[in-house]
Formats: sequence, C-alpha cells, structure tokens
Amino acid sequence: MEAIKSALDFSDFPRTDMFIAGVVSVFLVCFPIFPHSSFAMATMIQFLMFSLYGMGWNTIGGYGGQVDLGKAQYVGIGAYTAAVMLTRWNVPFWVSMPMGMFFAVCWSFIIGYPLFRLKGHYFAIATIATSLVLKDLFEVWDFVGAARGLEISPIKYSPPDFLRLIFKQDVYYYYIILGFFFLGILYVNWFRKSRLGFQLRSIKDNEDVARSLGINVHWAKVKTYAIATAFVSMVGSFHACYIKNIEPEDTMSLDLSILIALMAMLGGAGSLWGPIIGAGVLIPMKSYLKEWLGARAGLVGIDLIIYAIIIMLVSAVEPRGIWGIVERVRGRKAR
Amino acid sequence: MKSVLRFGAFFVGILAILVLLCPPGGFAAGEVKIGVIYPLTGGAAAAGRELRAGAELAAKIANSVMPDLPMTMARNSGIKSLGGAKIKLIFKDHEGNPTLGADLAKKLILDDKVDGILGCYHSSVTKTVSAVCEQYGVPMINGTSTSPALTKRGFKWFWRTTPHDRWFTKDLFELLKGLTEGKVRGVRAVPKKEIINVASACEKTEWGSHVSRLIASFAKEYGFNLRKSLLYAAKSADLSSEVRSLKASRADVLLFASYTSDAILMVKTLKAQRVRPKIIWGQDAGFEKPEFRSTLGDSIQGILTRTVFLPKVVEIKALAGKVNALYKAKTGNDLGGASARAFTGVQTWVHVLEKVGSTKPADIQGAANSINIPGSELVVPWAGIKFSTSGEELGQNVLGSGLIGQYQKGPDGKMGLEIIYPFDVASADMIFPFPGY
Repeated sequence: MEAIKSALDFSDFPRTDMFIAGVVSVFLVCFPIFPHSSFAMATMIQFLMFSLYGMGWNTIGGYGGQVDLGKAQYVGIGAYTAAVMLTRWNVPFWVSMPMGMFFAVCWSFIIGYPLFRLKGHYFAIATIATSLVLKDLFEVWDFVGAARGLEISPIKYSPPDFLRLIFKQDVYYYYIILGFFFLGILYVNWFRKSRLGFQLRSIKDNEDVARSLGINVHWAKVKTYAIATAFVSMVGSFHACYIKNIEPEDTMSLDLSILIALMAMLGGAGSLWGPIIGAGVLIPMKSYLKEWLGARAGLVGIDLIIYAIIIMLVSAVEPRGIWGIVERVRGRKAR
Repeated sequence: MKSVLRFGAFFVGILAILVLLCPPGGFAAGEVKIGVIYPLTGGAAAAGRELRAGAELAAKIANSVMPDLPMTMARNSGIKSLGGAKIKLIFKDHEGNPTLGADLAKKLILDDKVDGILGCYHSSVTKTVSAVCEQYGVPMINGTSTSPALTKRGFKWFWRTTPHDRWFTKDLFELLKGLTEGKVRGVRAVPKKEIINVASACEKTEWGSHVSRLIASFAKEYGFNLRKSLLYAAKSADLSSEVRSLKASRADVLLFASYTSDAILMVKTLKAQRVRPKIIWGQDAGFEKPEFRSTLGDSIQGILTRTVFLPKVVEIKALAGKVNALYKAKTGNDLGGASARAFTGVQTWVHVLEKVGSTKPADIQGAANSINIPGSELVVPWAGIKFSTSGEELGQNVLGSGLIGQYQKGPDGKMGLEIIYPFDVASADMIFPFPGY
C-alpha cells in the first residue's frame, strides 16, 4: 500500500511540471479521437515503446550511472518468448509476456552478477559483447527460427484477439502500450524514491562512499539491472505481437541498444521525464524527416544527416540532455 | 516559469503538430497509385537506386506512347481499361529494416490509399510488408525477393514474379555438374574430385540464411562435400575472420549470398588473404551491382554470379536491347538483375490493371491469379509470367528462369558479364579455373 501511495505521489515536482505532464497525458489518452494518419499512429506507438525502453534503461543507466549498451538482448528474450509460445503452443500474450520477463530477469542475473565487477567503459563494452553473443546464438538456434526469425501469421488468427494481442487496427495496440506507459511512469516514480533508488544514486555519486555507508553496491546494481531488464522485455513481447515478425538482426541489433540508450541520454538520464522527452523528440523527428525527405529523388539520406546534426547540437549545448537544459533555465530563474 | 512553459509547449507541439498535420492521402482522379518500398539508404542503397530507376522507367513507358517498343504497355498512354489512368509510384525507403517496412506499408495503405504495393528487395522486409498487405487485403507484387519461404505461407494477396533461390541454387549445381560432364562452353570435362569441396558464406537475414540451407541441401543431392557453411552480418565492417575460416576449409568452390557493401568487402578480403579457389560464385544481389564492378575493377575477372538479366540478353531479345538503351540513357548503366526485375514488377502491375479495368482489390486479385504475360513482352529471358494458384507455392510465377554470368574483360577492355549458363545460350567460353585477382 505504501508503495502504491509513493508511486502516485508526484508532490516533489514543481506545479508547472505536473501541469505539463497532465496536458501530455490528456493528449495521449485523447489522441486516437482526433483525426490522424496511420503513420501518426505508428509513430505514437513507437514513441510509447521507446519511452518504456528508455525508462527501463534509465533505472540502471540514469539513476545508477552504469552505461548499459546491451539492452537489445532483453528485447529479444521478451519478443522471442512471446512469439515462440504463441506460434508453437498458442499461449496468450498475457501469459507469455510475464514468462518473457521472468526469463529476461534470470538471464540478467546470470550475466549481471559477473558483469558488475567491471566499471565504466569496461562494463559498457561487456554489455555490448553479451548482447551480440546472445544474438549470434539466436541466429543459429533452429528452435527459434534461427536467422530467419519467427512470423506470427496474419491468416492464422482472427482479429481482434485480445488474448493473443492480434489486431488489425493499431488503436488497440496504442491503448495497450499506453497502459504500460502509465504503469511504467508510476513504477519509476516509486523506484526513484525507494530505498534501492536512493542507494543507486549514492552509488552513482561515489561508489566508495556508498560502500562505506553499508550499501551492498554489487547487489544493488544487479537488482536494478533486473528491473531495467523486465521493462525492456515487456516491451519486446509487445513488439513481437505488434510487428508479427521477429528476427535477431532486427530485434537484437546493436543499433537498437544504442537507440534505447540515446533516447534516455538525450532526454536527460537520471530524471523521471528524461526518457519520455528523448523519445518524444527523437522518434517523431526521425519518422517525419524520413517521411518528408527520406525517399525524395536527389535527397535520399538527407533525413539521417539532419537527424544526426540535431543530436550533436543538443549534446554539445547540454551534455545532460534536454532535461538538463530545462534545469539550467530553472536554475537561472531561481537566482 | 515562462521558459519552462515554453519548453512544455515545444514538447507537446512536437508530439501534436507533427502527428496531426500529416494529412491522410487523397485519391487523385485518373491515377493508379502503387506504393513502392525499396532500400534507398543503408547497406543496400546502391541496389535501391537501381530498383528505383527500373521501376520509374517502366512507369514512364506505361504512361506514354512509345511505338518503337514492341510491348503492350508502350502502346497506350496510361491504363486504357481505366480510361487512361496514369501509374503513379509512391516511393518509400525501408533501410533494410522489417519493422520500418511494416509501418510504411500501413502508411501507404491507410494514408496514401494506394491500390497496391510493389517491393521490397530484402526478403525479410517483404515478409513483414506482405503480412500487412494480407491483413488489409491489399494486393502486393514482389519482383525481387528470392527467399523460397515467401510463397509458402498460403497468402492470397501476394504474388512473386522472380524465380526464387531454390531454382537459382539448383542452376549453380547444374553448372558444376555440367563442368564435370564437359557441357560448359570452352572447358574440357573437369574431374569431379577437383571441384568436389565447396564452402559457403551467406549474410544472415531471411534471404542469406535460406540460401545457406539450400546450398547444404543441393550439395548433398549432387554429391559435393560442403566443407564450411557460415553466416555473417551484412553490416560487418570486417570479414577477415570469416575469410580465414573459408581459407582454412581449402574449398575448391566458394559460394556467397551477399548484399552490395559486404560483397565488395568479401572479395577485397579474399584478395588480401590470397584465397584462390577454382570457382567463386555469388547469388546475385551485391555481386551484380555496378558498384561491385566499379570498385573492384579487373580483380573480379572470372567471378560468377547468378542473375535474371545480363546485357548480353539483348543479343537474344531485341526488346531487352531497346529498354536497356532507355535505361542506360537515364542512369548511365546497363540494366541489371535488380533493375530488370523492378521494371518487370511494374510491368506486371500494368498488365494486371489493364486486364481487370478496376482498382478494387478483389478484382485485382482475380486478374493476378489468371494473368498470363507472354515472354515476348518481357525484358527478362523468362517464358512469361503466370502465377501458381494452387499447391505449395501460392502466387509464385511458374514461368521464370535464371542465368549464370561470369565477369570477363571484353575486347574493348571493359569488364562485363558473359552468359555461361544455361549452356545453350552461353555467350562466351567460361574462364576456368578462377585466374586470381
């Protein structure tokens, strides 16, 4: 009960933040009611998915300061658990998704325990390596379709199927991922104020001091890594049902791991709203730059150049990301 | 406070304005919209440029009268049975990403209201895009994806004009068998023990992994020893460990399924590590791109590639020569396997629409299932286009066929592809063994 109260308590945020958060929430809930294109809907679903990926990354990467560049392996575990269980044994999403989270958390303990003996760049490189190794294993594992991947056939199920998450209209997917999104915010809000959240921030500030205060640094990191993993795996399961086709090259690629970290870092690592802001800026920008410029003769690839320039500019102006810019402005006003 | 509010407005603005101001596509009168999804950026961007140019040329011919071209599509301006409606191609770039491909397909169907889809080159993307088309009941014609699995899913809204990799890989082993039997032009019968050891390296998505399995299966069927079979990432910046592994296998025949950048890198690494098998064969794609030729220059002499179109085809088909001249004027390059098949994909759309005289999906479905385009209409050397409507391979063109070409230096000093297989249409003697780089 205390945890629920803490999750629902946003009183430490300024009123302005809460006002903006309220407006954005109302907008998100009402979005499907407004006239919109299917591309806009797909973009919004991507935004919500990457916000959740970013929230997961933010627990260990933002609050904990441990730069994890191997999150795609957990997307893959979640996606493959859902797809394998559905295509082989007709297990509904609502069963396979928690199973995927369970497998992902188990895997995170197996690799997290030794990996957190490493620090800084070494840890980041090790997370990349484990993710790529797992991807390579999936690429030769026939049970999960090897490199060809798995397809959830659109002719095998009749939509709308709420148990298996098979829909023709994206609006159903939108509201399901939106539900996960709000739950994710509440969970991270509780997490940042929890004992583990405070422990993690003290570890980020100074690991030796944290240890001298009696914090089991290694165990705190491993536990938080598992939490981050569960988030990412949950969205991975959703991704499998939404796209209906998964393969290691797409679901477990290094590009995806980097994009997840980029969302949170650009938005503002270590803040509740950072990953949402990062995804809210980068996902629509990437999608619409590609839509407007990406396929025009003579301009092919210009969208990627503009996208990269904007990322570089934000990083150069404020390394703490967009949320860092907001806090800097606030600091000036307070003075 | 004001700054923060301004920031909030900016954030909500990005979410709201960007997503709401993209208007759903209108339906212009006198146009038939075909959504074309190709890889215009990324590792296969070179192939994307070629595919786009091929498709655009076909649309240009269909939309104007060109009496010099002996093809039905060139006789009318637009689709005659639809009152002269013009073909409008709406291009989208999938970057080789299946998830992006599925999103683009939804956009084309729901926002741009296209009448049909063409694409997507990468078999992995074709898989997700065709699944979206199947879900929405929108016809999709695929001209360039060759994974055999694509037409084994029982889809009713998916048709493929190109032959697939099972046929192409069989052609390769027929060529190897022909070598041992003295059937290859300019080469005496080669004892089988000289080419019995084969090894393969294929990129590891849907397409390459299928090719890898087919090579293993045909090697067994034709009595060859598969000494090594490996999969690699097409985006790899370094293939030296893969090449070391191939070298260690001491294979006589090296077989590849690679996209453009990895095909170039593979041959460069083979050259650097002085790997000299008796035969190097590529499963089309990267091995046939103009960039492969221009980047590697003379070092590709003797390399074989399967394809469906070679400039030498113009010596057999006058129509191919005329279309090739138009393509060369547009791009500066000859038609290749990708561009010729993209051209044929749009041409198939034109024939289907002309036959049905309607843009209703169900009507198009019926027309596609009963279409029979004679080989004389096509630039590719196929017997025609007729889709299978029953059996295991629903929607597969049953009249397609492949070619195997070899890079040889012509009398003008330029590197070009000569037809080596089928044996009866060979345009030059085969260079055997591979002469080195």
